Amino acid sequence: MSIQTDDTFPDLVALDHAGRPRSLSELAGGDPLVLTTFRGFWCPKEQAFMRRLVAFQDEVEVAYSSVVSLSVDPPEVNAAFRAGLGARWTFLADPEREHLDALELREHTDTVHHPYRPAVFLLTPDLVVHSAYNGYWYWGRPGIDELRADLREVTRAIRSDWNVAA
Amino acid sequence: MSERCWLALVDAAPSGADAAAALRTPDGAPAGWLAAWIRASKPVRDARRADPRIVDQDGAPATISLVLPERDALTIFDDPAVQGARRAVLADAEPADLVTTLLVDASHFAGSLTARRGPDALSRLRDDPFLRVWAGRLLVVDAGLLGSVPAPPGPVIERHGSDVPWPGGGFPAPGQ
Repeated sequence: MSIQTDDTFPDLVALDHAGRPRSLSELAGGDPLVLTTFRGFWCPKEQAFMRRLVAFQDEVEVAYSSVVSLSVDPPEVNAAFRAGLGARWTFLADPEREHLDALELREHTDTVHHPYRPAVFLLTPDLVVHSAYNGYWYWGRPGIDELRADLREVTRAIRSDWNVAA
Repeated sequence: MSERCWLALVDAAPSGADAAAALRTPDGAPAGWLAAWIRASKPVRDARRADPRIVDQDGAPATISLVLPERDALTIFDDPAVQGARRAVLADAEPADLVTTLLVDASHFAGSLTARRGPDALSRLRDDPFLRVWAGRLLVVDAGLLGSVPAPPGPVIERHGSDVPWPGGGFPAPGQ
């Protein structure tokens, strides 16, 4: 995986699940951003991981952090997957695979559908990569406790009042 | 005090508002005016604060759901019913053209404004999650007041500061 810690993630623009163009920086909106790339709705590994994220969103929703998931599925498919999961974050679509190769995230073992390789990036509000996880093998993905630790570190770094007593 | 966005229902076209548009019921009966002011202080007695991004003097007509709880019956903003409505807004697969909660102070939910455009706007607004918190009105607003605001990214339902109408606002960038 070429995108590494301390790189600046490209501020890509893609269609959200309602078909509207959105940029990553706009979606971050000044908060930490968890960006996941996933193969597609059909993959059992993605379904399993997304269910973990859906459970985690009950914490994220009160913790000033955004989540974005990116795949080659078109907006209407992403919308259906998102609704089926009960996810309340933005799903981005790259059906033309505009960003796939630039990000070097093409799933090389699927030469038919050419989906994204699963990955998770914890980004600062200005899209600097705090941590990167290669999810090609399922255990390469972060657990919720790892995401929580990453979000704590980024939030501590960007919120001047983290140590409120100081 | 920094400038804020104020919204109010008024009987006639107000002078001094930054934007205003006539309202009609879905069957065409006049229903007053909706006006917006961008200023620090409250412009009229019944004004409530909104996300300033909703105001667009070039905005097209829209159908709106306007929830305005009585001032003496306001629930707290963090009431589970209001939290649930915010979650339902984020879960919607077809986001509205804009949504803002309304505030009169830092503690209470003082209503909401949701706008949609298109042939199914009225039917979609009948499912406005904030209508489960308090009875509202479905109205048509003329051009010249309401724009279009990208859907909140989610999943955050909290306000970025208790006097910031959800889903607007944000925290200062590091170093600011």
